[in-house]
Amino acid sequence: MHRMDRARVQAWPVANRARNDRRAFCLRLLGLPAALALLPYPAGAVLVEHAMGRTQVPMRPARVITLFQGATDIALALGVRPVATVDSWTEKPVYRYLRAQMGDAQSVGLETQPSLEDIAQLQPDLIIGSKFRNERAFDLLSKIAPTILAQDVYSFVSNTRLIGAALHREAQAARLLAQLNQQIAALRVRLTQKFGPAWPLSVSVLDVRSDHIRLYLADSFAGALLSALGFAWPSQWRDGSRSIIKLTSKERIPVMDADVFFVLLRSDSAAVRNNYVAWSGHPLWQQLQAVKYGRVHHVNNVYWSLAGGIQSAFLMLDELQAKMFSEISS
Amino acid sequence: MKAAFVPPSPAALLAIASAVTVLCGLIALTVGQEHIPLLEVWRAFTQPDPNNMDQVVVQTSRLTRVVVAVLVGASLAVAGGLMQALTLNPLASPGLFGINAGAMFAVVLIAPVMGAVSFSHFMLLAFLGAGATGALVYAVGMRGPARSDQARLVLAGAAISSLLFSFTQAALVINQDGLDSILFWLAGSTAGRGMNEVRLAWPPIVLGLLGSAALARHLNILVAGEAIARGLGQNVGRLRLLLSVCVILLAGTAVSLAGTVGFVGLVVPHIVRRLFPNDFRWLLPGYALFGALLLLMADLLGRIVLPPEEIPVGAMTALIGAPYFIYLTRRSGKHA
Repeated sequence: MHRMDRARVQAWPVANRARNDRRAFCLRLLGLPAALALLPYPAGAVLVEHAMGRTQVPMRPARVITLFQGATDIALALGVRPVATVDSWTEKPVYRYLRAQMGDAQSVGLETQPSLEDIAQLQPDLIIGSKFRNERAFDLLSKIAPTILAQDVYSFVSNTRLIGAALHREAQAARLLAQLNQQIAALRVRLTQKFGPAWPLSVSVLDVRSDHIRLYLADSFAGALLSALGFAWPSQWRDGSRSIIKLTSKERIPVMDADVFFVLLRSDSAAVRNNYVAWSGHPLWQQLQAVKYGRVHHVNNVYWSLAGGIQSAFLMLDELQAKMFSEISS
Repeated sequence: MKAAFVPPSPAALLAIASAVTVLCGLIALTVGQEHIPLLEVWRAFTQPDPNNMDQVVVQTSRLTRVVVAVLVGASLAVAGGLMQALTLNPLASPGLFGINAGAMFAVVLIAPVMGAVSFSHFMLLAFLGAGATGALVYAVGMRGPARSDQARLVLAGAAISSLLFSFTQAALVINQDGLDSILFWLAGSTAGRGMNEVRLAWPPIVLGLLGSAALARHLNILVAGEAIARGLGQNVGRLRLLLSVCVILLAGTAVSLAGTVGFVGLVVPHIVRRLFPNDFRWLLPGYALFGALLLLMADLLGRIVLPPEEIPVGAMTALIGAPYFIYLTRRSGKHA
């Protein structure tokens, strides 16, 4: 009796394991077709860490709403077409470079004030916003659908990683970023070769408005890419305490001085053009290095500032390359 | 009664204020991105050298700022003083005529439609907007029985201002791009104006100042009360109309030149009334000088606290003016 008991005790786990294996096998047999059928929407969720904490998001979200320009760009780059997004800043309602990919996605209003009602009606299963814009609406958005917020709207590298994680496409996101880094490295080599001892050139990014000019520094979308390419910032900005400087008085023109200027016109309105003409016609403007060397390049303000996504980063690099290697200032 | 503070004679006060204003103006010419010594400032006018960048800065940037600050400060303060006399309301300011609201409405809603492209266009539109609104407020507020009560003008101004502000706000919310572009105009700024704009602005301002000077004696009677004024043979209705025209000329030009600069028109008259005898022949030059001085100082401070950025002068005037105003009301409780 005693022995038998012991034997039984010993035998039990063995029998148990065998039964478990059998059950698991049966389940796998049954589950395979089921999983195949459910492939677009498999059960389960991913825990994503973002600016407001951690949120469970569905494994393969099918109805995504993006609440800032860069998120739309990145989601599309990862092969996910949002069901709705916010209006673009210019080229409304969708930036030209995204139109073919966007198709007929709906609008849920302005980036600064998306319509929660419209968002709720669309029954999303994932909302991607930014702490910068949507911090106060986070609780409400979370009631509508799992919501993740990026820290800001222009840090496209971390935003690509975050959105890659949220869409369960980390590998694709990593591939895109690697590709971008490759392109940056290649361009950096070309720039170093072209300018030799003069490299690194210092750079200023000017955003012309109708009554002032903004200087974008290293801590901005274009600034981050330019830094990665090895461009230097004028010495007075290297402490990195500011990301934007708004200049209203033309006597501040010397503040912009650098070897290369990239100039974005905020809009193609006559008021903005006239303001640029007024600033660039000032005698102090003629004293600037970039002007003397003919390195004032006009570039697309969507790619360089307003879009803030990974696709626009590639487009910005393309344009920068074209401008720097033709070196005919426009 | 407290220990009497004996103010210096009004003539001496005016002389001191003029001297301080000139001094401030000179300092404003030397201070900025680069310090420019006074001697170089002097040479910029006596022996201009187009290749000397310091002189170019003085000519193209700093001098216009000083002139704009003086013109706008003087106009707003005088307009505010006239407004307070006209309405017998110590809280009246030029904005009460709907002038800021009208100018803003014109710049935000009409300028894009009209295709305004230059600063002069904006200025002209702002002036027209301010003038039209002022006229409308006058028509609504002053019409009616001859012994109209002053509160009606205040109410008409407040109502029409709110109406125009709401239109403007709606437009700015819909087109945020526009807001971003006229940010500095909305906040009140002396930067970026050229001599062209000054040339447009000084005639109406001088006209308004001369006009109010001509009315100074009549103003003394008007503030004694409408009945007394009538009894002394004043044509009160005509006087009010002329005063309103002066206010609209002064404040309308000021807002079109520098955007919405608050507080000068409200606070300066109160300061000046404490220092000068209660006679508009002293008060008006006092308003003009102290207004110019306050705006010059505000602009100077706004330029040096956060270089190379600048705090809009409209924000600075409130920053300087509000605490002083609170101090004033706390101290003098009963008599405004």
